[in-house]
Amino acid sequence: MTIASNVKQCLATIKGIEAQLSSLAVNSLDEEAQTLFHETSLQIGDIKKDLQYRVLELERNEPQYKG
Amino acid sequence: MPDWIIIIGRSFIFLLLLFITTKILGKKQISELSLFEYIAGITIGSIAGEVVTGLEANFVHGAIAMIVFGVITFLVDYISIKSKKFSDFAEGKGTVVIKDGKILENNLKKEKYTIDELSALLRQKDIFKIADVEFAVLEPRGNLSTLLKRENRPLTPKDLQMKMPSEKEPQTIIMDGNIVDEPLRNAGKGRGWLYTELEKLGVTLDNVFLGQVDSYGELTVDLYDDKIQIPSPMQRPLLLATIKKTQADLEIFSLETNCEKSKAMYKKNAAILQEVIDKLSPYLNG
Repeated sequence: MTIASNVKQCLATIKGIEAQLSSLAVNSLDEEAQTLFHETSLQIGDIKKDLQYRVLELERNEPQYKG
Repeated sequence: MPDWIIIIGRSFIFLLLLFITTKILGKKQISELSLFEYIAGITIGSIAGEVVTGLEANFVHGAIAMIVFGVITFLVDYISIKSKKFSDFAEGKGTVVIKDGKILENNLKKEKYTIDELSALLRQKDIFKIADVEFAVLEPRGNLSTLLKRENRPLTPKDLQMKMPSEKEPQTIIMDGNIVDEPLRNAGKGRGWLYTELEKLGVTLDNVFLGQVDSYGELTVDLYDDKIQIPSPMQRPLLLATIKKTQADLEIFSLETNCEKSKAMYKKNAAILQEVIDKLSPYLNG
């Protein structure tokens, strides 16, 4: 396992978390919970962007693991 | 006409009359919260019983008496809403029997309660030590309401300064294998959603005895066949665990990398995730 693949895996998990939080935000009845889930999913979205950028960087450095 | 036919006839009529009276007087009559409703309740019942079986009694007289009792109770209820003074008089007021942890002997005497009776009432509330009670009131109906001293009250999340998420009431959306549409709408869901959720659990609708949806939109079902094991909803605890794992991963990446810029990025995002975990924990725990 290379760093790149580890980071990619982490990125996939982050995407999953974002999606689950969005679905919780939609499905919850309590308004406070809805806002909280929504806000957190936005925060996770920012982390996702950082990681995506890092994955591109790593791919440039280790082209053999591109995929 | 033989007696038994008359009794059957009267029973039906009085049952109907009693039903209508109680329906009009409402829930308050059934709980017999106040003095007046207590009196009216037992009297109306006795009148009905007396007239139904006592053949020599006049049927119409009984019905009139019952209606009078019903109407007066209704009027008393009505005026009580309008006037506090009247309601204190007619419905009775609570008597304070323990205040600041001390028994008020005079009030107890006024209500003609002995110490034994007071301690019996306290014991019914699982209180064996009078010193534990801060405040106690004898309600008009004769039951005792107590307020324990602060240190003797059950521990609540508030005492521990824990933040608890607010929750809406669960809605029962499947009963006896049938979808109940109104609660389903209250939960903000549709039939399509329900069918998907059932499919996720791997059960068919007609196998479900009872289905409830909680305030996070998670469905719990009870099946007719108790041998079938269905998973309890684990989405939220699982999500929390995943977030924790990712947070740890980011920390590891920040240690592994040599690039200063990426190190800072990983650290920053790990901190954000930690914050997220702290915020979401009350909502995602079980």
